[in-house]
Amino acid sequence: MSDAPSHAPEKSILPSWVKGPQDFIGGLALVAIAAFALWASSDLQGMHGFSFGAGTAPRMFGILLLGLGAAVTVVGIFTEGATLSKFHWRGPLFVSLAILCFALSIRPMGMIFSAMASFLIAALGSTETLWKETFIVGACLTAGCALLFPYALGLPLQMWPTFLIR
Amino acid sequence: MGDLFSNLGLGFATVFQFVQWAPPLLGGMSIPIPINILLCLIGALVGTLVGVLPGIGTIATVAMLLPITFGLPPVGALIMLAGIYYGAQYGGSTTSILVNIPGEAGSVVTALDGFQMAKQGRAGPALAIAAIGSFFAGCVSTVLIAVLGAPLTKLALAFGPAEYFSLMVLGLIFAVVLAKGSVLKAIAMIVFGLLLSMVGSDIETGASRMSFNIPELADGLGFATVAMGLFGFAEIIRNLDAGGEEDRQLVQQKVTGLMPTKKDMKDSAPAILRGTVLGSILGILPGGGAVIASFAAYTLEKKLSKHPERFGRGAIEGVAAPESANNAAAQTSFIPLLTLGIPPNAVMALMVGAMTIHGIVPGPQVMQKQPELVWGMIASMWIGNLMLLVINLPMVGIWVRLLRVPYRLMFPSIVVFCSIGIYSVNNAPMDVVLAGVFGLLGYWLIKHDFEPAPLLLGMVLGPLMEENLRRALLISRGDATVFFTRPLSATLMAISAFLLILAVLPALRKKRDEVFVESES
Repeated sequence: MSDAPSHAPEKSILPSWVKGPQDFIGGLALVAIAAFALWASSDLQGMHGFSFGAGTAPRMFGILLLGLGAAVTVVGIFTEGATLSKFHWRGPLFVSLAILCFALSIRPMGMIFSAMASFLIAALGSTETLWKETFIVGACLTAGCALLFPYALGLPLQMWPTFLIR
Repeated sequence: MGDLFSNLGLGFATVFQFVQWAPPLLGGMSIPIPINILLCLIGALVGTLVGVLPGIGTIATVAMLLPITFGLPPVGALIMLAGIYYGAQYGGSTTSILVNIPGEAGSVVTALDGFQMAKQGRAGPALAIAAIGSFFAGCVSTVLIAVLGAPLTKLALAFGPAEYFSLMVLGLIFAVVLAKGSVLKAIAMIVFGLLLSMVGSDIETGASRMSFNIPELADGLGFATVAMGLFGFAEIIRNLDAGGEEDRQLVQQKVTGLMPTKKDMKDSAPAILRGTVLGSILGILPGGGAVIASFAAYTLEKKLSKHPERFGRGAIEGVAAPESANNAAAQTSFIPLLTLGIPPNAVMALMVGAMTIHGIVPGPQVMQKQPELVWGMIASMWIGNLMLLVINLPMVGIWVRLLRVPYRLMFPSIVVFCSIGIYSVNNAPMDVVLAGVFGLLGYWLIKHDFEPAPLLLGMVLGPLMEENLRRALLISRGDATVFFTRPLSATLMAISAFLLILAVLPALRKKRDEVFVESES
């Protein structure tokens, strides 16, 4: 999940004949995605007669993406292009953790708890966070959402932990 | 002509619909409330509210606010979404004028002269002209939609699957040609989107495709999930990289003297007119949308001006023209969506997503079967523009204060709000995780200079393209030349090929880049 930064090897890893590392890596990744999709749809039925099977369109788009990804890679090798931009780990990591925490806790713990918890985890993603105001804003936001979603918008959400309700 | 008036009449009747509301507090008394106008108003307000937040573009705003419309009846939901869209656009211009951080690509050019005006203490007139220009453009394009709607629908009904497929190809090619950056990468993103749309069960055979026995994937990737991940979460993560606080140079003076002078009005009137015309045309073209319109309008004004050196130093035409073009294009881009059922850009793709969630399949049939929906939406566009003019000018002070909300508090709030929103769509925790994955994917794409907007467009068009391709080939008994032998389809394909060749020709590419470079110089 939070391995986005690992996509960014240092420039020195790439051989010197790669002139546009950004496109080179980007293209390779697309090729990998396309290959994965082709593998994942390989068990689907292909054309029978002149009607499409379930696997025809996915394979078509997969092959197309494979070609395009390869083309982007080639462009990355031969044309002078941008170097890899720097990936930061702090923001992506804590935002992902906050999202994961919300997804895992919403069912058992209810909205009040999970909204507050993921707010605090997400806040770790910035170095500028001041904890006192973060707590106050988090509490206000949680209260606001607790009113907005079930009452104003009519979307039923469980508010409190399951073990308290029972 | 008579048709036109009766259609618009129906639209306004839908918008002005009153619902009897009997709150228990009043003891049986009921108050008539204009529900749809209210929804339009709330939409425009909330849209501006979120759109004003720096670094959050129009697409992100609409994506984030999608869930709050799910509980409404379809007509109300779409009217509210349209309101959110205009509000978000106007909010974007406010940020670019006051903070020099364009919230979205469409208002990059507005920032050029708008921020200079604000620095000279003329933020008021700049904001007012932006609103007036948008309103005028909105009025013109509303009429245009009403006029073009019916005939285009008739044309659409003559389309067979082959024509539909070719039209979608044309739309995607347009999106590539008019987009910023590398043509090859944009096409790759579209195909990636098409591939993603294949996940889930096949419509015809019911076979499960690429879903790895994960029950949440059996229905396909949720559209709202992907959009919120790619635009909501990814933008947050990217903004965190930038450090959030550093480059905010908020204009500190109080915004005073809202009304533009007579000279301002005289200077900007022709610019507004030209911007509206240019924007309306570019908006109808698939793939065009608001971004290219505002760039083109700004370039045109600069070329026509007797004093081009004033541009970039606070010329009011430099605000008036792109803002009008922006809004005109935003509205006319509803034309291909409502008549042909084909979204011309990423925001319209989001509208398709919203319609699908309400069980409406956009296209010519909707125009005939649910006229009150289509015409109500068209009428609400005009009302929405009027509201922006009326509410936003007096509320500029509030928007300015919102701009001062520090990013360290804003981003966790957005994370939580989006998470709840995504969860509430299907009550599925898995959707939230998927959105997170797409957030990381979006962050990676941005880092490698791939644009996520074409991906979204491809994802929406994927199932439609597959279906029409299948049908066309079935009808022609497997003969792939059908796309080139039916005259209408052949014409569309020829235009696509021509455009694609033009786009990769070095001469035109240079020109295209020039238009976009304008903003950076």
